[in-house]
Amino acid sequence: MTGFAGTGEAIRFALKRDRLILPLCLAGLIGWMAVYVVSYSGLYATQAELNALYKSVAGNPALIAMTGPTGGLRTLGGATAWESLPVVSILSGVFAMFSVIRHSRAEEEDGRTELLLASGSGRFAPLAAALIVTSAALMLAAVGNVAVLAIADYEVGPSILLSLAILGFGLVITGTTAVFAQVTGKARAARGLVGIVIGISWLLRAIGDTGDGTLTWLSPLGWAQQTKPFWEDHWWPLLMLLAATAITISFAFRLLARRDIGSGLIQPRPGPARASPSILHPLGFSFRLQRGSIVGWTAMLFIYGFAVGAVGDNIESLLESSPTFTEAFASASGDLIDSYFASILTVIAVMGAGFTIAAVLRPHSEESRGRADLLLTAPLGKVRWVSGHVLIAYIASAAMIGLTGLGLGIGLGVATGDYGEVGKLFASGFAQVPAMWLTGSLALLLFGISSRLAPVAWGLLATFILIWTLASFGDIPQWIIDLSPFSHTPAVPAVSLDLTPLLVMTAISAVVTFAGLVLWRRRDLL
Amino acid sequence: MEKVIEVEGLIKTFGETRALDGLDLTVEPGQVHGFLGPNGSGKSTTIRILLGLIRSSGGSARLFGEDPWKNAVALHRRLAYVPGDVNLWPNLTGGETIDMLGSLRGGLDPKRRQELVDRFELDLTKKAQAYSKGNRQKVALIAALATDAELFIFDEPTSGLDPLKEAVFQECVKEITGRGHTILLSSHILGQLEHLANTFTIIRNGKTVETGTLGHLRKLAASAGRDPDSMSLEDLFLSVYAN
Repeated sequence: MTGFAGTGEAIRFALKRDRLILPLCLAGLIGWMAVYVVSYSGLYATQAELNALYKSVAGNPALIAMTGPTGGLRTLGGATAWESLPVVSILSGVFAMFSVIRHSRAEEEDGRTELLLASGSGRFAPLAAALIVTSAALMLAAVGNVAVLAIADYEVGPSILLSLAILGFGLVITGTTAVFAQVTGKARAARGLVGIVIGISWLLRAIGDTGDGTLTWLSPLGWAQQTKPFWEDHWWPLLMLLAATAITISFAFRLLARRDIGSGLIQPRPGPARASPSILHPLGFSFRLQRGSIVGWTAMLFIYGFAVGAVGDNIESLLESSPTFTEAFASASGDLIDSYFASILTVIAVMGAGFTIAAVLRPHSEESRGRADLLLTAPLGKVRWVSGHVLIAYIASAAMIGLTGLGLGIGLGVATGDYGEVGKLFASGFAQVPAMWLTGSLALLLFGISSRLAPVAWGLLATFILIWTLASFGDIPQWIIDLSPFSHTPAVPAVSLDLTPLLVMTAISAVVTFAGLVLWRRRDLL
Repeated sequence: MEKVIEVEGLIKTFGETRALDGLDLTVEPGQVHGFLGPNGSGKSTTIRILLGLIRSSGGSARLFGEDPWKNAVALHRRLAYVPGDVNLWPNLTGGETIDMLGSLRGGLDPKRRQELVDRFELDLTKKAQAYSKGNRQKVALIAALATDAELFIFDEPTSGLDPLKEAVFQECVKEITGRGHTILLSSHILGQLEHLANTFTIIRNGKTVETGTLGHLRKLAASAGRDPDSMSLEDLFLSVYAN
C-alpha cells in the first residue's frame, strides 16, 4: 500500500529524534516498577508482615478507590501488583499520549509532516511510525518489567500477566491518542482530551471498585486490573485490551484517510472581528489563555471530590466487616471518615499541582512557540507579564482544591442527607494550597534560570508523587519523605490544623517566586 | 539631531558561538534604513538586542539614546515591531489579536485599523490557526502600522505577502516616512529595499561590511573597478560577497 510508503524512514527519524528521551522514559517506566519491587520485597519479606499489611489495608475504601481491589494483598506478588499495576499503567498511558502526539499531530501542526509527504511519504506513514515507535517502547518496557520481577524471584507466569496488563492499557491509550490526533488540529487539545480519557478510566474503576463493580468494566484501566495477577490470574481481560487497541487504531487510520493534512476533523469556526473588553488587558488576556484548562481541571477535580464524597458514606458499612482496620485507622487519627478525606485531599492536591506547574509554565510555552515576542516588544514588562500568569496559576490552584473539598462535602451530603460537614471539608481543601504554590514556585524558578530547564518541573512532580506513594506504606527514611512539600501539610480534617508548616511553606514559595521572577528578568528570551 | 539607533562594536555570544562580532549600525531620524546580510549573519540577533529581548555581550547599543535592555518598556512605547515569523494564538481571531496587541499601547484608532484591514484585505473573523503565513504577517503588520510609533522595526515583514499586498506595504512605508518617522527594514527582497530604503548597512558574520547610501555603495564599487551606474543593489550585494 503506497499510503504506508516511507514508514521505515519515519521510524528511523523518530528514533533519532528521541534517542535521548526514549531511553529515559523506558528507564523511568521500568525503574518505577523496580522501585515497587524493591520496596515491597524489602518491607514484606515474611508472611507475617504480609498478613499485617492485609489486615491494615484490605477493605479500606480510600485505598480501593485510589489504587484498586485489595484481595491479592496476602501474597508478595499480589501486594506488589496491587500498587504497581495502576500506577505504572497510567504512567505508560501518559508516555503513550506524549509519544504519539509528538510524532503525529505535533509534527503536522508545525508543518513538518507536509514536507515529509511532499517528498514521497505516504499519508499514513507518520501515524504508523508514531504508533510503531510508541508500541515498541511499551513492549520493551513490558520485557524490562518481566525481567525486574524475575530477578526479584517473583513467579514468572503472573509476572508476565502483570506486565502484559500494563502494556495493554498503554496500547489502548496509544490507539485512543491516535484517534484524538485525527479529531482535533491541535496537539495541546489532543493531549487534553486523552488526559481526560485517562482520568475517566481511573475514575470509573474507582467508583466501580468501591461499589458494585459495574463501572469498572467500562474502564480499560479496570480491565487491566481485573487480570488480578498473583491472585486470581485472569488472562482473558487482556483480550479486551487488545480488541480496544485494534479498534481504536483502525478507526484512527480510517479518520486519517478521510481528512485533510494540516487540519483536524473539527474545523475551527470563525470568531468575532473585535476583541471583547475582557482581553484588552494583559491580565485578562493571560486569563483567557488559561481559562480552558482552569475550567477543565476544576470540573474534573470537583466531580472527583463529589464522587469520593458520595462513596465515603459506604465506609461505615465496610468497617463492620474489618474490625482490625477500624482499630488501626481510628486509633491513629480519631475520626475515620475524616482521615479518609484527608488522604483524598492530599492525592488531589498532588494531582492538582500538575495544573499549577502547567499554568505557571504557560509563559514558557508562549516563549518557545515564539508568541512572547509580540507581547514583550509592546510596552509590557517581562516581569509584569509572567507574574500575571503566576498570579492566575496560584489563585486558580487555591480555588480548585477548595472546590474539591466542597465537592467532597456535597457528595457526602447527597449520600447521607447531612450537609453538616460541607464547611469543614471546604476549609480543609485550602490547607493543601501552600504545598501546591511551593511546587509552582519551583517550576517558576527553573523557568527563570533557563527555558530549557523548565520541563524539569515535571520530574519534580513525579518525584513528589513517588514519595507520596511510598510514604503511605513503607518505612522509607524520613528525610526523603520530608523532601516533598505535600508531606508537610497537616492531614486536616483528621488532625487539628497546625498553621506553622503552612505559613512556612507560603513564605518559602513567596521567596522562590520572587527569585524566579528576578532570574527571568535577567535572562535572554529564547 | 539625536540618532534613533546607534550600535557600536556590538558583540553577542551564545555559548561558543559568536553571533555578533563587533557590529556597527547607525540610523538617523526619518531614514528608511535597509539592513542586509546572508542568512545567519546576525540581523535578527541585532534586532533582538535592539528590542531588549536579549542582552548584548559587549559593545554598545542605543535606541533613542537609551539602553534597550534597561529601558525596554519605555522604549517600546516609541517603536513597533513586525517579526518575519509571526506566531499567533491559535484560538484567537485576527481581529481579537489586533485589538489585544493594540490595547497594550492604549488602544488603536478604529478608523486607521479599519482602513488598514481594507487595504490588506484581511478576514478578521478567522482564527489564527486557520491563517496562512501571509495572513499571519498581515495581522502583525496591521497591529504595528495602526500605531503612531516613531520607529518601526521590520524583520523580513513581507516574505509571505502576495505582490499586491507587497505594494500596499510599500505605500505604508512611504506614509510613515511622510510623517517623518524612522524605519529599520531587514529584508532579502533587494528590489523592495532598493525602492524603499535610502541608506543601507550590509553585514556578514556578525560584522558590518559596508554602510551608506546607494550612491556611496556605488562609489565603493567603482573604486573596485566596476561601472557604478549600471549596478543595482543586487549587483552591489553580490559584489560585496564576492570579495
